[in-house]
Amino acid sequence: MILPRLALRNLLRQRRRTALTLMVVVAGFLALSLAGGFMAQTFQGLADGAIRGGLGHLQVMAPGAMEGDEAQSLEKALPEGEALAARLRQDSAVAEVLPRIHFMGLLSSGPKSVAFLGTAVDPALEPKHMACLDSLKDGAKARGGAGSRWLSTDPAAREVILGTGLARSLGASVGSLLTLMSTTKDGALNAVDVEVVGLQDQGLKELNDRVLTVGLATAGQLLDAGPARSRLSVVLKHPGDTAAEQARLQTLLPETTVKPWFELASFYRQVKLLYYAIFGFMGLVLFLVVLLATANTLLMSVMERVREFGVLRAMGLRPGQLLALLQWEGAFLGLFGSALGLAATLLLRAGLNALHLQMPAPPGTSHGYELDIHLVPGVYLAVALGLQATLQVSALFPGLKAAKLRIVEALRHV
Amino acid sequence: MLEFREVTRAYELGGERAGVFGVSLAVPKGCLAVLAGPSGSGKTTLLQLAGLLDQPDEGAVLLDGQEVSSLSERERCGLRLGRLGFVFQAFNLVPVLTALENAMLPLQLQGLPENEARRRAEAALERVGLSDRLHHRPGQLSGGQQQRAAIARALAPDPLLVLADEPTASLDHAHGGPLMDLMAELATERGATFLVASHDPAVIARADHVFRLADGRLIEEEHR
Repeated sequence: MILPRLALRNLLRQRRRTALTLMVVVAGFLALSLAGGFMAQTFQGLADGAIRGGLGHLQVMAPGAMEGDEAQSLEKALPEGEALAARLRQDSAVAEVLPRIHFMGLLSSGPKSVAFLGTAVDPALEPKHMACLDSLKDGAKARGGAGSRWLSTDPAAREVILGTGLARSLGASVGSLLTLMSTTKDGALNAVDVEVVGLQDQGLKELNDRVLTVGLATAGQLLDAGPARSRLSVVLKHPGDTAAEQARLQTLLPETTVKPWFELASFYRQVKLLYYAIFGFMGLVLFLVVLLATANTLLMSVMERVREFGVLRAMGLRPGQLLALLQWEGAFLGLFGSALGLAATLLLRAGLNALHLQMPAPPGTSHGYELDIHLVPGVYLAVALGLQATLQVSALFPGLKAAKLRIVEALRHV
Repeated sequence: MLEFREVTRAYELGGERAGVFGVSLAVPKGCLAVLAGPSGSGKTTLLQLAGLLDQPDEGAVLLDGQEVSSLSERERCGLRLGRLGFVFQAFNLVPVLTALENAMLPLQLQGLPENEARRRAEAALERVGLSDRLHHRPGQLSGGQQQRAAIARALAPDPLLVLADEPTASLDHAHGGPLMDLMAELATERGATFLVASHDPAVIARADHVFRLADGRLIEEEHR
């Protein structure tokens, strides 16, 4: 244990230099771990948005439902969707099943008609598990959105909630009467008169320009859907089991296709890849900065101790042990740097979160959000291990230089 | 105990050929021997060859009957650690370690348990008169005390041969004399051989054997 002790004393010998090196390591740790916490917040927000935006944890659909377009509504639907939903509700892992119908058509105000993308949902179940009321609350702030409310649970009610952009293009507001037009599952044209009861703002302009939501009963009448449903959104009791439950339910329901939310949320996957690329590059640069700064410090320290290394070698220290001595110095720098970095991260994270900073809306969305840097022990551990490896690599070159010193020349060194 | 047989080690120094050339000498066990001569006479080169810090171009170096000049680096490290001790002109104690830790260092590098290393290092420091300076760092010791600590470090592993390069050159006469007395006593008491490179007449006066060098060649031997 003499080498670690010697390494520690050597670091303490040049306190100011060691402190500066530690600051580089701490800064690297801080930047990477805070970025990791920010990424975790973003991913969590996107995941919640996707799951509570309607996907649920799992989606059950007819085989081939994801391939190609439907020529008409419900062409690729689950023919006995309601029965299947009832069966799934009996499963012990399932918290709820939300049947949905996806359809398209024209929405007319009389003088003007606009194409729409519609979703029919169960008005009673949807607000309990999905974020539909949030988008309704945001929609109420839009022009014509005052008085917005959720769909009635009365099956006889013929109501619609419009995306804010769709309402604007039709000049519609809460209370307006419009006509929904689409084709039934048999290909016949059909229409239903509906009352606008609310506007919804889903955060994406392109969506707001096209989407509308109706109750399953309204869509059932418009499309002559019967028990057919486009998809079943499955909410699990334990979201962490999503991958395992997907495999189990797929085996249980071979006549359907069961997909987890993360395979369907393309925006989530794209943002995740983008963030990995951005922060991965940033991380690489930071690791490089730490590598060069610490290698420089350790090399300077070696050059100042040439004679001392000569004495140690004369006493019988092997070149490998000298290399190990420098590795210990790198190890202590990494260890202390990461410990201080962790403390700094926790302090700064708490401080930044306490400020309730409002972040600007991400590209393609219409909402800003409050900064809430997540606590991510896994990221901290990965950063600490990465920095530790960087420090060991940075100690390698000075260590090799020390190990290659000729003893007689080192003893003559002034 | 230590023998040089027709040893040559040449190198360029300031454009001139320096080193030692065809030196043969034998140093018996348990004595204080001095390599004497002016600067550039080859004293330090011989000391480095004896300390296995360098290898001869020609000839052989024998330590306790074993030919050591052609050993591998690992074998030479092992011998230096176990059988040799070094004392340098500039003391060269490890500045971040106390006197006790410096004396413990070679023992711990040998792999001795800490308690045993501490016991032997304390005994060595006590023998050189530093029992009240165990926990002082080199910067807190006088030159004479530092050199005594260096001797304790060299002696702690109980070496066959202690090599000292100008050990009194950084000390005044008041400290140099007693230091040489101590080396002479230790050589007799422990049976270790002290080979000292020096041109200091006070050091030469205390030696049992004197080997005078000039221009890299042995010109005179004196055995007392």
